[in-house]
Amino acid sequence: MQHTLSNKALFKSTVIALVIAGVVLISFILPAEYNIDPTGIGKKLGLTALANPGGTATIGTVQSDELNTENQHETDIIEVIVPAGRGVEYKFAMAQFNKMEYQWHTDGAALFFDLHGEPEGDTTGYYESYALATLTEMKGSFTTPFAGVHGWYWKNTSDKPVVVKLTVGGEYSIVGLKK
Amino acid sequence: MFPQSSRLALITMILSLVSLVSFNAMAHGVDESTRLFLQNNTGVQFFPFMYIGAKHMVTGYDHLLFLAGVIFFLYKSKDIFLYVSMFTLGHSLTLLFGVLGDVQVNAYIIDAIIGLSVVYKGFDNLGGFQRTFGFSPNAKIAVLIFGLFHGFGLATKLQEFQLPQEGLWENLIAFNLGVELGQFAALTFILLLISFWRKHHSFAQFSTASNTLLMSAGFMLIGFQLTGYFTG
Repeated sequence: MQHTLSNKALFKSTVIALVIAGVVLISFILPAEYNIDPTGIGKKLGLTALANPGGTATIGTVQSDELNTENQHETDIIEVIVPAGRGVEYKFAMAQFNKMEYQWHTDGAALFFDLHGEPEGDTTGYYESYALATLTEMKGSFTTPFAGVHGWYWKNTSDKPVVVKLTVGGEYSIVGLKK
Repeated sequence: MFPQSSRLALITMILSLVSLVSFNAMAHGVDESTRLFLQNNTGVQFFPFMYIGAKHMVTGYDHLLFLAGVIFFLYKSKDIFLYVSMFTLGHSLTLLFGVLGDVQVNAYIIDAIIGLSVVYKGFDNLGGFQRTFGFSPNAKIAVLIFGLFHGFGLATKLQEFQLPQEGLWENLIAFNLGVELGQFAALTFILLLISFWRKHHSFAQFSTASNTLLMSAGFMLIGFQLTGYFTG
């Protein structure tokens, strides 16, 4: 059954356990999970790349004729970076029966996406999908069936980050990346 | 003891199992498709919830480490049954109570305590309490208490999804049943490997090393979770 170690052996075991845990934590786990990398080993091994779970996005507003919006009004060009192996949501707040025209393309890899809307004030988690596919680009428009937040969920199953360039025009206000 | 070939086969089997677990392991995280399901389902979804519960247990390495520590020195099936029942009683109570009572506990703190439970078991297996304090805490009570914390961990994770009230009771029972099923499956595997290993003289040789590593893994879990708590 349980064998009792001598004081010395017990102390040794405990210290060894702590040292191994400390080394593994500092060199591998913290860099990969939290981007905390005091030794620089995490960066060398590329582990810190795992620690940026959220996507990033930049917005530029320009006059554009890329989209045939009815009165050529302003369009927003948004670049969303979908990290390797992650899903990112980008949303717009829109009233009922408002229209959005859009066009997006990736910098290469195809992404699974779900263009959907969530009704305002809903707490049950209900959503309605307007388009669902795996593509490298798409152009189209939609009219909102209800007021709420509408937008894309992109999922990157590759092992490299994918940049999505999204151009939108219409009646909306930008909510941005879902935290 | 074993002929060379069967020893090799055993090692290969263990290694492939370990790699299988580490690929799928996500401790307390819930993967994206499960998350979508949990947030969008309505009404009673008995088998899906049971499946999620079972999967959570089988892929939750912190629960598994603790269980492995608990049965490390248990030889009689009566003892194993008793200890596992204490653990089950503990985590079922807090899982149901936590979700139904809407008790909010910080997930990082709970997971750090689960890490502590692993350290405790490793230290106890080394005879550490006997040596340093002259007595060992009642192991059955300890398993029950840590079981309570493991249950809170499960409850906290489920609550993050703001489950619909409709059919909550039934879904919870299903989830809990799944947890027990998953635990049973995982336990069978661990038990098989440990009892196989016990027949081998390396068991005695490496039991100190194994429990030291168990402690170490527990320390890692604590450090990992506490860092998340302070930075998150």
